[in-house]
Amino acid sequence: MTEYIIETRNLVKRFGKFTAVNGLSLQVPSGAIYGFVGPNGAGKTTTMRMLTTLTRPTSGEAFVAGSSVTHEPRAVRRAIGYMPDEFGVYDDMRVWEYLDFFAACYDIPENERKRLIDDLLQLVDLTHRRDDMVDKLSRGMKQRLSLARTLAHDPKVLILDEPASGLDPRARVEIRELLVELARMGKTIFFSTHILADVSEICTHIGIVEAGELIAQGSMDEMRAQLQPHREITVILRSPEAVESVKRLLATTPGVLGSVDLEAKAGRHPLRIDFAGDDDGVAALSQAISASGVAILGFSEETKDLEAMFMRVTKGIVS
Amino acid sequence: MSAMTGALDERTPRERMLTDAAGVLQVGAIAYGVFAAIIFLCGALAGLGAARDLPDMLKSILLYTYTGSSDTALAILILLALAATSLLLVAMVAVLAREVWVVPLLVLLIALALAGVILLGFTPGLPGIIVIVVAGRMMLTDLRAFRINPVMLKELRGRMRGFRAFAVISIYLGLMGAIALLLYLVFGSFARGTGSAAAGEIGRVLFFGIAAIELLLILFIAPAFTAGAITGERERQTYDLLQTTLLAKATFVIGKLEAALSYIVLLLLSGIPLQSLAFLFGGISEAEIALSVLLLLVTAVLLGTVGIYFSAALPRTLVASARAYGAALAVMFIVPVVISVIINILNDLLFIRQGALPSPPMEALLRYIDLLLTSVNPAAAGISAQSLLIDQRVLAFYNYTLRSDGSTIPMVSPWVLFTILYLSASAVLITLTIRKASQDFESS
Repeated sequence: MTEYIIETRNLVKRFGKFTAVNGLSLQVPSGAIYGFVGPNGAGKTTTMRMLTTLTRPTSGEAFVAGSSVTHEPRAVRRAIGYMPDEFGVYDDMRVWEYLDFFAACYDIPENERKRLIDDLLQLVDLTHRRDDMVDKLSRGMKQRLSLARTLAHDPKVLILDEPASGLDPRARVEIRELLVELARMGKTIFFSTHILADVSEICTHIGIVEAGELIAQGSMDEMRAQLQPHREITVILRSPEAVESVKRLLATTPGVLGSVDLEAKAGRHPLRIDFAGDDDGVAALSQAISASGVAILGFSEETKDLEAMFMRVTKGIVS
Repeated sequence: MSAMTGALDERTPRERMLTDAAGVLQVGAIAYGVFAAIIFLCGALAGLGAARDLPDMLKSILLYTYTGSSDTALAILILLALAATSLLLVAMVAVLAREVWVVPLLVLLIALALAGVILLGFTPGLPGIIVIVVAGRMMLTDLRAFRINPVMLKELRGRMRGFRAFAVISIYLGLMGAIALLLYLVFGSFARGTGSAAAGEIGRVLFFGIAAIELLLILFIAPAFTAGAITGERERQTYDLLQTTLLAKATFVIGKLEAALSYIVLLLLSGIPLQSLAFLFGGISEAEIALSVLLLLVTAVLLGTVGIYFSAALPRTLVASARAYGAALAVMFIVPVVISVIINILNDLLFIRQGALPSPPMEALLRYIDLLLTSVNPAAAGISAQSLLIDQRVLAFYNYTLRSDGSTIPMVSPWVLFTILYLSASAVLITLTIRKASQDFESS
């Protein structure tokens, strides 16, 4: 179909009058670690439930590993491992029985299951808890066990809903390392989070969702390219005329992406300049403005990190 | 549930084999159902005097070595066909659920059909054998598809682990033993000094007392075990997990049912030694014990499926349990009251006004309604079947002599009809449950 292993086209989900997901179109390339970022209530879980065939879209289409979520749910289920944000606990079950049960649900023959369970436990580092009861595990261990469960049928895609939420910092790092390891094994990982550190450290791609809409998406490199050399420089000038003359100057300066007049206050006229360039470029810019003879009250510069980008693109619509 | 629309066939060869084999069995089941209905119509026509020699002709073709009357032959034909329908439906569901026991079941069905053909000359058994052989040949291509139900295994691992299962059975047997002792002491003091007849009386009391308690127990345990089957998974948020796996809904529903029923069977089996205390006193035959166990099992199956049906249909375990108990109590307690009232009215109509006996067809119809109503309740069916067994030495089929004109009509002991009714109702409920469970994706 395409080179994308997950693709949605204009995905919409309404619950009565409430629109949870509104025309979402995202693309996840094969082999990516895709961070699906957004505030709580943005429609992340609903999107994931549609991708995992648990909820039928109101309209639009979604494909996972080339199969339609609505028309070929079983083919989709074969291709995905899903971890919801709540860990489903069965009482009275041992760790190995838990994996054995789900392996059986995925139709793995009994004589292959023992070796599979051993491998999975080793992968998530729970071999020593093999015969313990599931509900005796710590939250981090449960999360790792849950991850092992999603791998039982060797799926191409892992869809993980907030895999690191509610974990202590150590467990969170362990989960992150596991995800990287799984990506190295060739799995595509699509996970939701509202913890930006997760995204900046391990993701290859990110999509930012808010109020059911995807507002930014791309590979981490693209996002960085947009952001890192991209600086915001604020120049404070003394008069509107000075602002105009600086703007004329900027029009001919390389690396300037645009400028915005900020609100003037007490005779101070700030001008925000979006600038793509390195430190030499910033120095050259400040020299050029001084050389033009305009009086400057202030010249300051800030680099933006992911957090700032997140704050800017999400506009704070949801909480 | 297998009806995926569109040209996209996303089934694996194994899934295709399963749906095809199940389809063959379903066709067979439907054919036998239609056959039973046709025979019933023929019998009714003959009964009304329309085609007097039809039963003889049917008997000579369809049940040719049977030596009884041709009316009874028709009754036997209908029941055999209904039994074939329900057994084939069971086999169909078992194939869809990929139960490993479907293999011995199909072998048993072939053996039964052969026995019917050879012993009774039941020629309609032959197409049944063909149906099973066709389905069986499909299944042979991938016999590894059939396995122990993982859901049942999971449930039983949880339920039988540790102290609880042991304690429950111990308490249950302790209580039953205490009640048996109480019955013995109370009735033993009444019946002292009158020889073996008195001992037989004690034996009967013990047998009935224990059977009644087991019935009550099933009434309370069977719905409770299954009413949480699906709602419980929803409440623990494991249902979503299961839905994203490849687990077939049939496997899930049947597995839950198997787990609940196997525990009840364990309780019933562990109670058999207590029941057979009655043998020490006499007055009870093996047939009666076997009948009581059968009726209790069939009751457990129906109540279990009622529970699982409500579990699929309703959102919460509490609500599902309440409904399941409501239905169980209605069948056990309200229906008997209504039935006794209706039977009394019928008897009034039949026998009080001696001078004005009803016409023979009317009396026959009333007798059959009477039979049907008795067969709706396990206690009524059990007591009625038992009195037939004791008083008339009738196990299953017999001829009932009409009081109006002295002619005979074929009758069947209520336990036969009871078993068929309850198992068919269970089959319907299981199908509905599987359908409901499969619809969860659509509705959410």
